[in-house]
Amino acid sequence: MNSSIRNRLLTILFIFGLGTYALLPTIRYAMMDEKSVSNLSSDQKDYFESRSIKQGLDLKGGIYIVLEVDLPQLIDNLAKNKDKNFDNFLDELKVEYNNSSIDFFTVFENIADDSNLKLPRYFINYGKTKDQIITELSLQSEDSIKRVIEIIQNRVDQFGVAEPTIQKQGNNRVIVELAGIEDPERARDLLQSTALLELMIVKNVESTNSIIRQIDSIISSYNQNENVEEDEINELFQSDVNSEFSLSSLLISVGGNLAISSENLDTLKDILLQENVKQILEATNSTLLTSDSSLMLINEIGEEEEFYTLYHLFDNAELTGGVIEDAQMRLSQAGVTAGQAVVEVEMNSEGSREWARITGANINNRIAIVLDKKVHMAPVIRGQIFGGGTVIEGLDSIEEAEDIAIVLRAGALPVPVTIAEERTVGASLGADSISKGTLSMAIGLLLVVIFIVMFYKMSGLIASFSVLWTLILLLGVLALLEATLTLPGIAGLILTVGMSVDANVIIFERIKEELRNGKSVRAAIDSGYERAIRTIVDANLTTGIAAAVLYQYGSGPIKGFATVLFWGIIVSMFTAIIVTRFVFDFVTTTKNIEKLSI
Amino acid sequence: MKFLEKTNINFMKFKSFGFGLSSVLATGSIIMLLIGVNLGIDFKGGTAIGINFSDDVSIQEVRNALKSVSIDERTLDLSSEEIKYFGSQSDVMIKIKSLDNEPENFGQLVINHLYKSMSDKVPTNKNDFILSLGSVSPKVGSELSGKALWSVISALVLILFYISVRFEFRFALGAILALVHDVIITLGVFSLTGFEITLSTVAAFLTIVGYSLNDTIVILDRIRENMKSSGTVMFESTINKSINQSLSRTLITSLTTLFVIIVLLVYGGEVIRPFSFTMLVGVIVGTYSSIYIASALLASIYQSSK
Repeated sequence: MNSSIRNRLLTILFIFGLGTYALLPTIRYAMMDEKSVSNLSSDQKDYFESRSIKQGLDLKGGIYIVLEVDLPQLIDNLAKNKDKNFDNFLDELKVEYNNSSIDFFTVFENIADDSNLKLPRYFINYGKTKDQIITELSLQSEDSIKRVIEIIQNRVDQFGVAEPTIQKQGNNRVIVELAGIEDPERARDLLQSTALLELMIVKNVESTNSIIRQIDSIISSYNQNENVEEDEINELFQSDVNSEFSLSSLLISVGGNLAISSENLDTLKDILLQENVKQILEATNSTLLTSDSSLMLINEIGEEEEFYTLYHLFDNAELTGGVIEDAQMRLSQAGVTAGQAVVEVEMNSEGSREWARITGANINNRIAIVLDKKVHMAPVIRGQIFGGGTVIEGLDSIEEAEDIAIVLRAGALPVPVTIAEERTVGASLGADSISKGTLSMAIGLLLVVIFIVMFYKMSGLIASFSVLWTLILLLGVLALLEATLTLPGIAGLILTVGMSVDANVIIFERIKEELRNGKSVRAAIDSGYERAIRTIVDANLTTGIAAAVLYQYGSGPIKGFATVLFWGIIVSMFTAIIVTRFVFDFVTTTKNIEKLSI
Repeated sequence: MKFLEKTNINFMKFKSFGFGLSSVLATGSIIMLLIGVNLGIDFKGGTAIGINFSDDVSIQEVRNALKSVSIDERTLDLSSEEIKYFGSQSDVMIKIKSLDNEPENFGQLVINHLYKSMSDKVPTNKNDFILSLGSVSPKVGSELSGKALWSVISALVLILFYISVRFEFRFALGAILALVHDVIITLGVFSLTGFEITLSTVAAFLTIVGYSLNDTIVILDRIRENMKSSGTVMFESTINKSINQSLSRTLITSLTTLFVIIVLLVYGGEVIRPFSFTMLVGVIVGTYSSIYIASALLASIYQSSK
C-alpha cells in the first residue's frame, strides 16, 4: 500500500469515525425505552438531549407562537387628555398599521401629520415637539417589549417546559416555541394573559342605582335627540330598536348582584363606549366591569340563559399585582371550600401595610379581585387583614389555580399581546410524520440502491456505499451542529440521497465515456474524476446558493430544510469525490483490473 | 443494463417545437395564475385547523356544524369556508379566511365549538382532537409573501451572477430563463390542481431552482467543453452532441430523483404532500427545460449574434 493511499484511508476512516461518534448518542437515545429514559439521572438526560438530533415542533408536537405587542394599545395607555380627535386617530392608526408592513412609528407619524394631530397635547410628559415625542414613545415601546419578554420567560420557566425557545423578532414581536406541549389551549392562555391583578372596592347599592339611572337618561335622550348621528344610534341599538330601551332593562338582580345576559354583553360594551357615559363614570370615579365566569339562570320564558355579574367599582385600584411577592396554588383545607384549589397570595411589606389600611377602612364593604379587567370575585371584608396574605378562591380546577399563581408570580404584562402567528402541531400528527418520513426514506433508499446496482453493477455497489455514508455523516453533522430536524428537513435528507446519487452518476458516465474512447481502466478513472469534479462542484454550488438564501429567509421548519440541504451538498461531494475515488484507486492499485464493472 | 449509450438524437431539430410548447405552457400557467392560485394562510392570513374525529365524518356534517358558531357573543357562519379531508375520512382540514375584528384565539374557539357540537364523534381527550392549528394574521401574511418573493428573486440573481462568472453571461441568461420557465409552469400546475401554496412549497420551489439548475449546468458544462474543440461553428451540432453525451446522466438522475419523490408522495403523509408534489412537477419540467430552454436558447442567442 503506498503512502498516498494509506493517508487517504486514515483520513476517511477518521471522518467516518467522527460522524459515527457524533451520531451515537442520538441512536442510543432513540433506542431507549421509556423506562430507561426515566431512570436516567438529570445529567445523563442533559447529555443525551444536547447531543442528540433535536426534533422540530412539526415532528414532536408543540406550539410555535409569535406574540405581537399591541403598540396602538400602548400608545392609548400612554396618552393623556384623550378626546374624540385622538380616538379617531387611534382607530385610523390601528387599521393602517395592521394592513401594512411599514414600521409602526412611521405609520404613527404619517397619520399624525395627515390628521394634523397636536401630539404634545396628549403626550406632554414625553416631549414638547413631535420628534421628541416619537423618539421617547419608541423608547417606551422598546422598554415594554423587553419587559414582555422577561415576563414571558418567567412564566414559561415556571410552567416547566423542556427547552423552551423565546426570542425577539423585529421591533415588537416575541417568538415562543414550546415543544411537546399537550394542552395548547392552556399554554396559549398562560402566555397571553396580561395578568393585571387589581383590588378594587365595590361601590354601594345607592350609587350604583344612581349611575344606572343617569346612563338610562342619556340613552333616552339619544332617542329623542334627532341631531345625533344616524350611525351612532344604529350602533347603539343594533338589534333591539325599541323606545323603551335602557340599561336597566338589560339587567336583572341576582342575590344582591346585578347580572346581564351574555347576549347583551355587546350592547353593554357599546353603551359604555358612549362619550357621555364615559364622562359620567369618570365624574363619579367609577367603572362598570363584568365577572369572568358566568352563571346559568332560567329566564322569564323558562329557558336557561347565561348571565354575567355586573359590578360597579371605584375606578382607582387600591392595590395592583405589583405588590405580590409570592403566589402559590394550594388545596383548601377547611371550610366550605375544603378540597378546592385556591391561590394564596403574599404581598411585600409595602403591600401588606396598604392592604391592612384598606381592609381596616372598608370593613363590611366588598372588595373585588379583578384580573385583566374582569371581576374574579368580590368578597365582603369581615375584618382588617394584617401580614399581606390573601386567598383567591372559586377556581375551576387545579390547573387554573396553578396558572393563575404562575402569572401572578411572574408579573403582569405592561401591554397586551396579540397572537400574530401560530403553528400548533398535535403530538399524534408529529409522530405520524416521523414514521411516514422514516418509511419513505427507507423505501426511497432501497429503490435507489437497486436501481444503481442494476445500472452500474460493482461500481453501483460502491456508489450505494457512498450514499449510505452520506446519510450517516449528514446526520452526524446535524447532531454536532445541534440542528433541529423538521419534516421539511426529512425531505431534505431524501433529496440529499438524490444529489449524492447524481454526483456518482456524473462520475460513472464520464468514466464509461473515457473507457469507450479506449483508455485503460486506470486512466479512465483518473480523467473521469478530473472532468466530473468541475461539473459536480458547479452544479452543487448553485444548489448551495439556493439553500443559503432559504436559510436566510426561512423560519422554523424551512430553516431546518435549508440546513440539511446545505450540509447535504457538502457531505455528498465529500463521499462522491473523495470516498468513492479512494475505493476505485484502492481496488485498481491492489489488483490488476482489466475490465471495470461499471 | 445498457441503453442510451452513444445516442445521436437531433434535439435541436425540435427546437421551434420546444419553444412553442413552452410558450403555450407558460402562457397557460400565467392565465391560470391570474384566475386564481390557491394561496395558503401563510401568505393570505387566516386560520387552518386540522382535527381528528374518532369516526369517519362527511364534509357536509362538518359544514353543518359550522353553520352557526357563537364566539364572544357573535354568531358566525363558517359553513362556506374551505373544508376537506386530510389523509383519511376521519381527519378534516378547515381553512378559514381571516375576519375583520377576529376574536382572540379564534382557531381554538372553532375547535372547541366543533368538539362540543359533534360530541358523538370526537376522541375523549380534547387534546387528541387537535391535529394542527395554524393562524397567521394578515399583517404577518403580507410580510411572509414579501419575504418569499424576495427569497426567490435574490436566489435567481445570485445564481445569475455565479453562472456569469463561471461561464458567460449568455449561458447565465439561458439558465435563468429556464428557471423562470420552470417556476411559472410549476405554479401553473399548482393552480390547475388546486394545491395550496405554503411556506414549505416555497422551499420546494427554491429546491427546484437548485435542481433544475444542476441539470442545466451539467449540460452547459459539456457545451463549454465541446466548444473548445469545435468553436462556435456548427453550434447546434455542438449542443446536440453535448446533450446526447450527458443524456444518460440526465435521465438516470432524473429517474432516481423521481423514484424518491414518488415514494415521498405516496408514503410521506399529508403534511409533506404539497412539497412532494411541487418537486415532482418541478423535476419533470426542469429536466425538459435544461434541454429545450437553456440549451436551445443558447443556440438561438449564438445564432442571432453571428
